[in-house]
Amino acid sequence: MRRRINIYRDIDWVTVLLYFILVIMGWLNIYAAVYNEEHNSIIDLSMKYGKQMLWIAASILLIVTIMLIDSRFYAFFAYPTYLFVIFLLLVVLLFGTEVNASRSWIVIGGFRLQPGEFAKFATALALARFLSAENMKIHKFKNLLSIAVIIFLPAALILLQNDTGSALVYASLLIVLYREGLSVSVLLIGFFAAILFIMALTLPVLYVLLFIVFVSCVLLLLLFEAKKDVLKGIFFFLITVGVLYLINLISLDRSFMWVLIASVVTSSFVLTIRALIHKIPILFLIIAITIGAFAYTFSVDYLFDNVLVAHQRSRINHLLGIESDPLGAGYNVNQSKIAIGSGGFSGKGFLQGTQTKYDFVPEQSTDFIFCTVGEEWGFMGTTVVLLLFLMLLIRLIVLAERQRSGFSRIYGYAVVSILFFHLAVNVGMTIGLAPVIGIPLPFFSYGGSSLWAFTALLFVFLRIDASRRELLR
Amino acid sequence: MSIRGQIIGRIGFVYAFVVIFALAILGAILNIQYGQANRWLEHEKNNFRERTITPTRGDVRARDGRLLASSVPEYQIRMDLVSEALDPKIFNEKIDSLAQGLSSIFGDKSGKVYKDDLLAARYRKERYYLIQRDVTHMQLKELEKLPIFRLGQYKGGFIVISKSNRKKPFNQLASRTIGYSFPDDDASGVGLEAAYDSILSGVPGKRMEQRIVGNYWKPISDEATRDPVNGMDLISTIDINIQDVAHSALLRTLSSHEARHGTAILMEVKTGEILAVSNLQRTDNGSYYETFNFAVGEKTEPGSTFKLPVLMAAMEDGYIDINDSIDTEDGIIKFYDHTIRDSRRGGYGKITVQQVLEYSSNVGMAKIVSKYYKGKEKDFVEKLYSMHLNEKTGICIPGEPAPYIKYPGDKYWSGISLPQMAYGYEVQMTPLQILMFYNAVANGGTMVAPRLVKGIQNHGKYIKRFDPVVVDKRIASPSTIKMARLMLEGVVENGTARNLANLNFKIAGKTGTCQIANKKYGYKYKAKVSYQASFVGYFPAENPRYSCIVVVNEPSNSQYYGNAVAGPVFREIADKVYATRHEMHTPLDQVRADISDLIPYSFSGNRGDLNYLLNEFNIPIDDQSTGTPWVVTTRANSDIVFQNRILRREIVPNVTGMGLRDALSILENAGLKVTFSGYGIVSNQSLSANQVYQKGQNIHLTLSNNF
Repeated sequence: MRRRINIYRDIDWVTVLLYFILVIMGWLNIYAAVYNEEHNSIIDLSMKYGKQMLWIAASILLIVTIMLIDSRFYAFFAYPTYLFVIFLLLVVLLFGTEVNASRSWIVIGGFRLQPGEFAKFATALALARFLSAENMKIHKFKNLLSIAVIIFLPAALILLQNDTGSALVYASLLIVLYREGLSVSVLLIGFFAAILFIMALTLPVLYVLLFIVFVSCVLLLLLFEAKKDVLKGIFFFLITVGVLYLINLISLDRSFMWVLIASVVTSSFVLTIRALIHKIPILFLIIAITIGAFAYTFSVDYLFDNVLVAHQRSRINHLLGIESDPLGAGYNVNQSKIAIGSGGFSGKGFLQGTQTKYDFVPEQSTDFIFCTVGEEWGFMGTTVVLLLFLMLLIRLIVLAERQRSGFSRIYGYAVVSILFFHLAVNVGMTIGLAPVIGIPLPFFSYGGSSLWAFTALLFVFLRIDASRRELLR
Repeated sequence: MSIRGQIIGRIGFVYAFVVIFALAILGAILNIQYGQANRWLEHEKNNFRERTITPTRGDVRARDGRLLASSVPEYQIRMDLVSEALDPKIFNEKIDSLAQGLSSIFGDKSGKVYKDDLLAARYRKERYYLIQRDVTHMQLKELEKLPIFRLGQYKGGFIVISKSNRKKPFNQLASRTIGYSFPDDDASGVGLEAAYDSILSGVPGKRMEQRIVGNYWKPISDEATRDPVNGMDLISTIDINIQDVAHSALLRTLSSHEARHGTAILMEVKTGEILAVSNLQRTDNGSYYETFNFAVGEKTEPGSTFKLPVLMAAMEDGYIDINDSIDTEDGIIKFYDHTIRDSRRGGYGKITVQQVLEYSSNVGMAKIVSKYYKGKEKDFVEKLYSMHLNEKTGICIPGEPAPYIKYPGDKYWSGISLPQMAYGYEVQMTPLQILMFYNAVANGGTMVAPRLVKGIQNHGKYIKRFDPVVVDKRIASPSTIKMARLMLEGVVENGTARNLANLNFKIAGKTGTCQIANKKYGYKYKAKVSYQASFVGYFPAENPRYSCIVVVNEPSNSQYYGNAVAGPVFREIADKVYATRHEMHTPLDQVRADISDLIPYSFSGNRGDLNYLLNEFNIPIDDQSTGTPWVVTTRANSDIVFQNRILRREIVPNVTGMGLRDALSILENAGLKVTFSGYGIVSNQSLSANQVYQKGQNIHLTLSNNF
């Protein structure tokens, strides 16, 4: 049985209100950021602020449309939407137009569209649909594989468009998987991989390998019940290192790294035999992790030097403190920090920001819009914006948790994850906490594609939420 | 753990994750905006600067408007070889043609060398690589067309730094009087440039600039923006033609007498305007340069030129008359242990007061003064003071010392001070101060202050004109002035300066020869007496128009008398002035020479000038040239023949037979550095004609009158 619903009554007005506050604040800040005395009307259509007004108006149309569509439509058409977006991503890869070194735009006439923005929405739908299937067992290998494909296919295509930032957004969907019961160990492995990645880039390889050996030993101690045997194993490993070190010293002339790798291989071999004899599967796992981590460390170095493009490398290097070039890659962040820092506690006042005017902070109306907030409204302004976003996110988690269907809950979490990632990384990069990977601040940043994509993402959830009572279980 | 508990735990974790992350960001922002706010504000200030826009400095001009000192823009070319917007592809493609272009514009290095240098600088990541200093505006225009550079500063790394260079087109002529100033230091500098620095330098403008991406500065409009006000032009009283004559006459005299230094000043009697002021000092290599303004800044004992005011004082007090008789005895007189001698051995015997001055008798002067002022020394000095001899002229340029005229009771006043002062010792005055006094005599007793500036112009219009400054309407009674002038005329007619007597116009003046007290060694230096020869006077004597003083310091040859050393310089200046001032001429009815059958020598020179000149004198011309601006002239039987003088680039022009001014004009326009010696017309040039030369090369011209 279905219950008639009244959207006007059931829609979550708190979220709608938060949305409009953020969008309007974004518009005012775009006006401040690119303010031009010759075009001082905020509705001047030749300027970015005038255009943003059009995008906002169009968003309202989009919201009305979303509200008019039956909530079941979204679950039903999740896969077709996803496939259509994948198709668009392929099209853009082949025929797209390059903007800022990213081939991520489809240009039709005077109209430019960024399919990557909508891919997040589509992926969220598809993931929700997949995970909400009857008798879903997330840890089945086949299912894990499917989930990986759903998430990483669009990410990979976007990566190929040279838009690393947008591709990384998909990693945030791990939050959804976690909520839906993904094993902590999988997440830990992911976390370990991230740490190794950073270490591989900042430290000499030898130290990283020693770290891996150390972690392996700790894992052994933690997971293996016969502690005495573990100590024997570690002792054996150290003996191996010592012997090989002496041999190396006497006859071979290799580096210590070679000694270490040889010791690990030898120990692994012996331990594997032991594991086979005593049938200890956990030992296999640890050996696999160790050797995998070794291989991973080398491949990160290789990837970094050979796959990443120069500007991406230098941005990561800058973030990690390897390179310091205030006029190069770090210039943007420095300028952005100057803008935010010069705002002080209460800011310089609306339109009074000097740093964000005159093209000082690059991309000041899109990726670095937060600087304008910081400079003109100060700490009070940034706090208000962050609190509004935090309220929105928490409100969305509350909404997600009150859903009766798995699909809507999972979709809700996907919305939270994506918004959270955008917020954290975008604000993080303006204050130097995250690498400058160029993703917009939801609802704030200038741009039709991004505004519409976030609007669709949010309001589809609100539409589903409004219908939560339709389904009686 | 129950499934429910697990789920609640996970939800809690997600909440906590989101909230903690948000708080962490908030903390970081708090740190930036609150904790480090000062640091970032400081950074922000570094992104702004107030740029001072230097105004164009005004010119110093001669009285006819010709430039004496002017600011010429010069540029320094630098390159940012690693500008963010400099496309490596374009750089690599165009570097060859850029290097080739630089080579052909500057011609100092080959294209290959330029390319290698640029590549090396790019390898070193130089952002401010110096390509060339002292680049002219013309070169800059060409540089702006070169590949890469034409993309501008951001995309082409092309950095132009302009600065203005002060140039004196007439080089040494009056250069010390024109002077110089340092842009950043108001207190220093010399001459007119320093005296009128505030007028010449204008008012600097201000503009706010902001740093933009790539470390460039972008002007921003702001209420504080102020346009610079360019400096105004100073119209000096210098007549560059007469200055030229004074300079070369003084130079010649100093050279031939190997004098240490000298000065010559020409002043207009009625107005006090200084038409020429030349100061030359010998340098170690024997050449003379304008290095110190002796005319204004050096006070010495004037010697015999001071006798005139002394006699005038006695006349004013009614003690003597021009015809009073003075017994100079045998030319030797003793005051205490000090002996005063006349220059003529045996003395002049009994002579009149007028003759005392004409012969410049020291004994006569000492006797007059000690006779009438012994015991009344104060009256004597007061009388001199009343004629403003103890006052500065107040000339605008810095560095004028006050004259030193002893006063009875002074620390150094002694028994012989009075007779010593009578003939110009124990007093000290600058040449200009003495000239001002003689000028007053020439001006019928009205003392006007000397002036170097006619007025101030802005865009060719007078903003301010300076009027003559009358110091005293009457420094002495008309009868005293009349007697003084009679005596001065007598000096030239009968006295020590007979060699200056002249048919065309009469000169009046006074010679001065005195021993110079060297600061360290007294009157004798290296067992040798140093002399200072001077001549001060005015012309024409009957109706004085100009006064002039010439002082030559330490003529080292045996000749040191004022008339012999300083007189000829005076004479040459006076002749030139007379020649150029038609209104001074009295018709010479009796000397109407028939020149129709005499074709004069003519300089090779500017065609227009020659045409005008020869037409004025009705001398027939046979113009065989094709209309080139410069012509070679030859004297034919009945006319003067013009032939082409073709100047070709990079080939040394032939300037022999030309006047110095024309030759200078041609050679300096061709980019050569010219030095010259001698006077007359160019008889020899060190780079022979038609050879190829490099810009900036030196050429020496030898002048002579043997034509």
